[in-house]
Amino acid sequence: MTEPFNRLVKLAARAFYDDFTTKGDNQPKTGRSDNRGMAVVVLDALTRRQWVREEDLAKSLKLHTKQLRRTLRFFEEEKLVTRDHRKETAKGAKIFSAAIAAAADGQQVGKEGDEKTKIHTHSYCCLDYAQIYDVVRYRLHRMKKKLKDELDNRNTIQEYICPNCNRRYSAFDAMQLVSMEDEYFHCESCNGELVAESDKLAAEEMGDGDDNSRRRRREKLKDMLQRMEEQLKPLTLQLARVKDLPAPEFGTLQAWEASVNAAGRGGNNNGSATDASKSAQGQGYGGTPMPYIGETKVEVTIFGADVKDEGAETEAATASLKVLPPWMIKQGMNLTKEQRGELRPDAKVDGSEAYRDQSDEKKQEQKQEDVKSLEEEYLTAYYEAYARMLEASKTAQGEAEVSQQSTSSYLNGVSDTNSARQVGMKVKREDDDDGGIEWEEDVATGILNELSIVNDPNAQPDGSGDEDDDIDWEEG
Amino acid sequence: MFFHMVLERNMQLHPRYFGPHLHEKLTTKLVKDVEGTCSGKHGFVVAVTKVESIGKGLIREGTGFVTFPVKYQCVVFRPFRGEILEAVVTLVNKMGFFAEAGPVNIFVSNHLIPDDMEFQSGDIPNYTTSDGSVKIQKDSEVRLKIIGVRVDAAEIFCIGTIKDDFLGVINDPDATA
Repeated sequence: MTEPFNRLVKLAARAFYDDFTTKGDNQPKTGRSDNRGMAVVVLDALTRRQWVREEDLAKSLKLHTKQLRRTLRFFEEEKLVTRDHRKETAKGAKIFSAAIAAAADGQQVGKEGDEKTKIHTHSYCCLDYAQIYDVVRYRLHRMKKKLKDELDNRNTIQEYICPNCNRRYSAFDAMQLVSMEDEYFHCESCNGELVAESDKLAAEEMGDGDDNSRRRRREKLKDMLQRMEEQLKPLTLQLARVKDLPAPEFGTLQAWEASVNAAGRGGNNNGSATDASKSAQGQGYGGTPMPYIGETKVEVTIFGADVKDEGAETEAATASLKVLPPWMIKQGMNLTKEQRGELRPDAKVDGSEAYRDQSDEKKQEQKQEDVKSLEEEYLTAYYEAYARMLEASKTAQGEAEVSQQSTSSYLNGVSDTNSARQVGMKVKREDDDDGGIEWEEDVATGILNELSIVNDPNAQPDGSGDEDDDIDWEEG
Repeated sequence: MFFHMVLERNMQLHPRYFGPHLHEKLTTKLVKDVEGTCSGKHGFVVAVTKVESIGKGLIREGTGFVTFPVKYQCVVFRPFRGEILEAVVTLVNKMGFFAEAGPVNIFVSNHLIPDDMEFQSGDIPNYTTSDGSVKIQKDSEVRLKIIGVRVDAAEIFCIGTIKDDFLGVINDPDATA
């Protein structure tokens, strides 16, 4: 949900704030005090949180509060971060903790025991995604405009600077600056020769500003523009991707606290039902800050998060649902029943014949050993049924074909994940043990079902459709 | 850009002109005082076209001067950013060239001159294209675009560019042929 925006923040941080340092330029940079890259770390940390108390953030980043605050103030000026300060007692601070706790494990921190009347000012900060989007775009725009203007010198008022006394003049002062002795402009105060100031971008090779160097400067600017465009390409692409998405909005600190608290309270009533939603909205993107992470739910959330992360990485490839790779499914097979149920809720939507078949197969996979003894019987039954089927289907061929198409398309349509997953599982099985028989077994179940209803003439086309489905899967 | 507008001014007239030709005297003095001046608000007053009305004079104590409020129509000229002007080059140097469009001084710095024109110092400093077909020197006429205007209380100064389509020297005999 916020993943594209987080990526945007991370890219922007690396592009623009990588060498940001809170130290002034005049101070000597020793190895210890060199804190370049800290800005990136702070921004990255903020992408994993919503509103966070700055002290907590500092603690988890192992930074000094002052240092962090300086960085955050800088980001506030850069309009990347919204901050909120409020005076609060120890009790007041607890509201926030409660909000965090509510988000983290769905429990209220009910204890408000030891109240101190001491009032501290606490600062909170949060990324302002909507504004970040605008800020980054504006920044890119300004960079491009500056370079382009410089490139074709369009509508720029030339500035001149006196190398001796650093006094600056604009072209509007040209009348006063022109001297009768030579063809240069001269400083009013020290009579030094003025240098055109727009050469600062390519200052190294600027000699006396003759035409040759003008041309060189043009080339340099062009090169710079080109390099900028290609180096910031990921950023612009991400901007374009984010363009139509609604920016995640956390509101003000109070609003956020209220909403998170409410969500937490609701979660208490519903019990486990919130786990899913929480993993989706709360910890799915690591939204909630650290201290109270519920241990029991870790497994579930990590699974969800994993899927998400993977989606983020391969997001260029697909925006749709992913087909899990076989190794993943093997893991999934070993998971508990609820998880299996969680994986396939969409298939349940319409419980049709095909779905029942699937569930039958599933069960049989689970108690495979029991089934193995029955396999021979199935085989014989299958061949009998198949022979009978061929005759029957010849008669009802046209009909069957239609329904077969519809069923197969239905199966494909139901859920790419599900059917694909099952195919994967079976393939895996084939590798493990005797796959051929396994397959017959699947088919046989289909046929068994069919056998039970084979006397019913209406069911016939359905059955044939099923069988074809099975064959379909075998190919896949 | 030129404007025709009505302005007002308080004229002080010496007592020696009090007589039969007072109005003519007042008009000539107005023309003499006002034409060629520059006000930051309206620009240069190019010409007084008509005196609309002359109010009642007020004799000032002590001096005997009389103050007449005068309403007059005049043509004013005020350059704007983005305006295209034709101007005469007055001075060429390494940093660019100066040109005059009527009362307005315009400076075109060398980075607003097309890149294919190079400065040639010498007896007559000029900017010339590499093939020598176009030359900007003193008294050349150029068409330029205003990109910046500085308006002072009594002065207007402009920055121009000839680095755009259809700008540059216009008195080239080949071009008119």
